[in-house]
Amino acid sequence: MLILSRKPGESIVIDGHIRVKVMRLEGDVVKLGIEAPVTVPVHRQEVYEEIQRSNQQALTKQSSPLPKLAGAVKPSGAARPPAPPVPPAKKMNLSKP
Amino acid sequence: MKCAESIELEPPPAPTGNPVRLPMGLLGFEQIKDYLLVVNPGEEPFAWLRVEDNIALAFVVIDPFVVMPDYNPDIPPADVEFLGLKNANDALLFGIVTVHGASQATVNLKGPVVINRHTHTGKQVIITNAAQYSVQHPLPVADNVA
Repeated sequence: MLILSRKPGESIVIDGHIRVKVMRLEGDVVKLGIEAPVTVPVHRQEVYEEIQRSNQQALTKQSSPLPKLAGAVKPSGAARPPAPPVPPAKKMNLSKP
Repeated sequence: MKCAESIELEPPPAPTGNPVRLPMGLLGFEQIKDYLLVVNPGEEPFAWLRVEDNIALAFVVIDPFVVMPDYNPDIPPADVEFLGLKNANDALLFGIVTVHGASQATVNLKGPVVINRHTHTGKQVIITNAAQYSVQHPLPVADNVA
């Protein structure tokens, strides 16, 4: 592993197009600013690994029967249009780029 | 090579569904990018995200608002830009379901799959407020499974 010493305000550049800057130190917390193209996913490692494990567990290898959901879920009418299959997301918050 | 005597095998019926491309795949499955979104009558609110070139592989997905009506995911700006979303109506939102058995299933609310309904391009997004939600939120499975 490459280990570099950086002070707050200093950066490192990865592959010419990713910049990681030490923004500030707050006690034992380091605030990092990351500038990367939108095609480069940047995640906190522990959340990334949690979701990765969940996906691996969720993969089904045959058409297993689906569970029956209790009360809360209303049975849908048969004459629902095939596409789009679900209504648009109602309460999602899109952060402005 | 052509063989006149060969028996033509019927290919398995291709599932009909809406093609969805996830250019970055799902986390842990980065190499699988092409899926079919399949909704079978009678299985709603569940749907299937089937791997396009391997129909045996699939993920069960669900509209997370069915499970949690006050679900309020914050989509990071880089993902909004990547997916080309102008407003929330441009997007379909799915939670990936893990079926643990006949009587237990959970849905991932930290990392929903967001799909641009116009371009059919999607991404598994780690929401900004992931700390508020569980990666294994229990589904209300009926006690008496028929």
